[in-house]
Amino acid sequence: MALPKVHAVIIGAGAGGPIVARQLSTAGWKVVLLERGQWRTPADCHKDDLRNQRTSVLGHPFGPDDEGNPRVVESPNGQLRIVEPSGPGYNNNAACVGGGTLSYGAMAWRFQPNDFRMRSVYSAKVPRAFEGSTLEDWPITYDELEPFYEQAEWELGVSGDVSTDPFKGPRKRDLPMPPLPATLEHTILEKGAKSLGLHPFHIPMLRNSVPYRGRPACMRCRWCVGFACEVDAKCGTQNTVLPAALATGNLELRTGCMTKEVLLDHGGKATGVAYFDAAGHLWEQPADVVVVSGSAIESARLLLNSKSKLFPEGLGNRHDWVGRNLQGHTYTGALGLFDQETYDDIGPGAGIAVCDYNHGNEGLAGGAMLANEFIRLPYQFIGNFRPPGLPRWGAAHKDFVRKFYRRAIAVQGPTQEMPVFDARVKVDPNVRDRFGIPVARFSGYKHPHTIEIGNAMAAKAEQWLKASGAIQTWQKKAGPGISGGQHQAGTCRMGNDPKTSVVDRNLRIHDVDNVYVVDGSVHVTNGGFNPVLTIMALAFRAGQHIAREGQRS
Amino acid sequence: MKAAIAALVLCAAVLLVVPTASFVYEAGGPEACARCHEMGSPVGKWQASTHRNVPCSACHGDALTTNPNFHLSNARRVYDHLRSDLSEKPGLRPADVFAIVPRCQKCHQQEFAAWSTSPHAATYKNIFLDQKHNSTRHLMDDCLRCHGTHFDGGIRDLVSPLNNTGPWTLRRAELADQPVIPCLSCHSMHRAGHRLEQRRLEAKTLGSRQEIFRPSLAFFDRREMAPVPVSLLPLPAIREGERNVRISPDQRQALCYQCHAPLSTAQVFSGDDRTPIGVHEGISCLACHDKHRQTTRASCANCHPRLSNCGIDVEKMDTTFAKPGSKHNIHTVKCLDCHPKGIPPRTKQTAGLPPRQN
Amino acid sequence: MMPLDSISGGCDLKRRIFLTTAAVATAACNRKSSSLRFFTADEAAILDAWLDVLIPGDQDPGARQAGVVHYIDLQLTRKFRKLQPAYRSAIAALGRLAVQRGAPSYESLSFEARTAIATQMEQGALDKSLFPDGGKTAFNMVLDHAMQGFYGSPRHGGNQDYSSWRMIGIPPMPVRGRQHYDIRDTYPQKAPVQG
Repeated sequence: MALPKVHAVIIGAGAGGPIVARQLSTAGWKVVLLERGQWRTPADCHKDDLRNQRTSVLGHPFGPDDEGNPRVVESPNGQLRIVEPSGPGYNNNAACVGGGTLSYGAMAWRFQPNDFRMRSVYSAKVPRAFEGSTLEDWPITYDELEPFYEQAEWELGVSGDVSTDPFKGPRKRDLPMPPLPATLEHTILEKGAKSLGLHPFHIPMLRNSVPYRGRPACMRCRWCVGFACEVDAKCGTQNTVLPAALATGNLELRTGCMTKEVLLDHGGKATGVAYFDAAGHLWEQPADVVVVSGSAIESARLLLNSKSKLFPEGLGNRHDWVGRNLQGHTYTGALGLFDQETYDDIGPGAGIAVCDYNHGNEGLAGGAMLANEFIRLPYQFIGNFRPPGLPRWGAAHKDFVRKFYRRAIAVQGPTQEMPVFDARVKVDPNVRDRFGIPVARFSGYKHPHTIEIGNAMAAKAEQWLKASGAIQTWQKKAGPGISGGQHQAGTCRMGNDPKTSVVDRNLRIHDVDNVYVVDGSVHVTNGGFNPVLTIMALAFRAGQHIAREGQRS
Repeated sequence: MKAAIAALVLCAAVLLVVPTASFVYEAGGPEACARCHEMGSPVGKWQASTHRNVPCSACHGDALTTNPNFHLSNARRVYDHLRSDLSEKPGLRPADVFAIVPRCQKCHQQEFAAWSTSPHAATYKNIFLDQKHNSTRHLMDDCLRCHGTHFDGGIRDLVSPLNNTGPWTLRRAELADQPVIPCLSCHSMHRAGHRLEQRRLEAKTLGSRQEIFRPSLAFFDRREMAPVPVSLLPLPAIREGERNVRISPDQRQALCYQCHAPLSTAQVFSGDDRTPIGVHEGISCLACHDKHRQTTRASCANCHPRLSNCGIDVEKMDTTFAKPGSKHNIHTVKCLDCHPKGIPPRTKQTAGLPPRQN
Repeated sequence: MMPLDSISGGCDLKRRIFLTTAAVATAACNRKSSSLRFFTADEAAILDAWLDVLIPGDQDPGARQAGVVHYIDLQLTRKFRKLQPAYRSAIAALGRLAVQRGAPSYESLSFEARTAIATQMEQGALDKSLFPDGGKTAFNMVLDHAMQGFYGSPRHGGNQDYSSWRMIGIPPMPVRGRQHYDIRDTYPQKAPVQG
């Protein structure tokens, strides 16, 4: 059934969608925001250590539901495996209002200027990074995005202190909030980093360190990444831009609504979207502009499922680029044991980082930011900390946990990946979700140079731990499989050439006047950093562009 | 007509089946309740508790309970049980928690009287519809951590509108006169019984044969929807600058500290902390604050039976105890506050007393 | 189950002194109520003896004292429902193995004998007639769940009285206060910057 027409319909209330909604509704557009999940609040933080978005052995609270939302994983030998959202291999990002930003760890990184120019920087220096990869420059520069990074930092709220990071891109304005005071782990690692001549600093975080815009400061508990913040001190889209957008009176948020496809007329112009509401009824929402913000996997799936005469292989997929170049991050690092206590039970744990290794590594095309890991709950320690050779069970294992739970540090970083054309999202011809919509299927592998960089980063992390006084260290190396997860990106690449990209520099799909993709999908490369602030900055930029240039009737 | 009678009989049967079942269970004693595995743990604990002679029905209701919701909720539990969809610990809903309060009162009249006139008996109306608070501070979910531990929702389910202009109303009007800190916020009836005193600590705390903590003391964790016994709650390592503040080993305070807590920096007097420093450093909250009444009236006499060294009644000294506006907070007052030139030397009478602080 | 001796003088919850009391109280409680949902008493006994070698009790409670078997029993009626047959057959296989080795039951085997069996299982070296893969899959399944039940929150049925959290020294609820501020104190107060 068709509903009254609006100026814009936005699909997905994650990191990107609500920001575009904010920009458009403030500019007077009538906007509908569709979200398949529910609107969760701090009241939904149950501090459940086995049932959260990070440790989901007993399920996960912020969706999607395990029932009726399968995906398919294709192994290198062609074997197919159906996976459920809380299980391994699903590459889940939460399905709720705020998306991943409700329960994330909330690191708020700007990419470095060189992250936007990977081809220019490395094509001569490291040619092997380009063999079998689609490594490319972005069509926009850091400088073009800088004002929008700033807007994201101030509108949502970022704490931290990057003044001692000499590798950062130029910035016009400081972060709005000071960093949280250093933890014990931070002081131990700071000494080590300085002894190596590195440049440690306080990680920028989308987390209040002081009361900010009506929400309180972090109380530093141990239930952080994977949980909705109990005191609402994490700044996601659900508690910042979205309430502001709703306050304009121009936005209607519809939760529990799963979009089936983007509808196109014969001229190749989108007329709106078709979606299922929570009861399973199919609705048609006509709109002048359609914004797809479902995250890299679901946005690609939606476009591939939106078939029409002009786009028989899916919307924007004329040249077979939709769903390609799926990339998250290759997390590698090292773990260390200490003879002194390192654990002070003060969250969020992660607090210190170095960017010395993001670029300029001899013979490597890029690198990663290295940081200490978030505070751990006991069961997470079991999964992550076990020195090589230590039994997995029995008296020796128990003794190890007893002795070292409070005397261990993990350092790791998100290695920037070399995009691979065959690392991809397709739609499965047979498996469907509970609405009968074909689901996403993954296939592909990691570029060998990504693994090489990742392992080099693990060695650097180990060196840092040793310099900080670890009595025993070991590395966590890179695996060969594709990555995605919360950092999923790349599937609808941004570019100037319609033959080798999906959207243009303003995030509009090539050849379609009124459909935009605003999420991590458009990232050409994913930086050596957590990508959320970049997604947010792109959303502010796209929102401003649509409000200025978009056609509304 | 026959059909109508049949329907009536059927209805009556359906209506009566739950109370009848309740009666059967009641007749079977606590073991009958424990036959359902989810009841095993609470019943087991109750049998070892100080309340073991109080039958289940005295607090939880029985076949003759007139409240239909009680029977409906029992029926729902049976249904959930059959579907194997009950939590490991069958939690109490807010309505159950409030219903317990008058039942506690039946036996604990004195405690109830003390509590009901104390600030801890504040109602939802008092806390959440306070003009001054709501116009100057934000209402937020975290308020419920201490004010409304049992409320099964978020702040948006409780108060409307969530702004600083009001006028504010409770979305759940029936809570208006209910206490935000009912008995069950600090007490867990099913805890096992233990001796109530600890000789080891006699020398360090007040009074001879000091009561340390009641077995029932447990803080209700809103996120877990379960009480955490006071023995497992931490006493924080409070600091004044770099210095470690001496705090009483009285474990009961761990309960106080869950709400009257310092910030993560653990600095004395940060956040809601009121740890005493100065002359009263090392004294338990409960040395001065009455357990249920919270007032400190006449508490000085516990330790200061005589006049002070300078002949002044300590209760009349210039502190916040005597005058709320005094600049000498009773929690932080130091000798030097009143003796800025230094503490006078000891007289003959006071020579034998233990050393004084600062 | 809240012994008085557990007065602790600070944040440190590692008070060995109340372990014995807690263990005794837990065991007493377990005896009284049969709180099993999925396992039979015999199955639970075998699994309990198996878990005992994975996380043995020493000066701190182990999987047995912490009631990890209740975690698994509870979750098998919920999230792990699909694993019911795997558990049932693995436990039965261990029972048969004990009989083959001349013991009346698996749980009557010595700690060392059970440890040896677990080692063989981990390597997939048990008789293929008992476990098609020599026991590897079943071992990994139970090990994962043992760690979850032992180190996870007590709300899931295991880790009774927070025994593992006390062992590693983290309080169930940290003491955390809240910064007070008025609406007008909300940061930032600086004037918006140019640009």
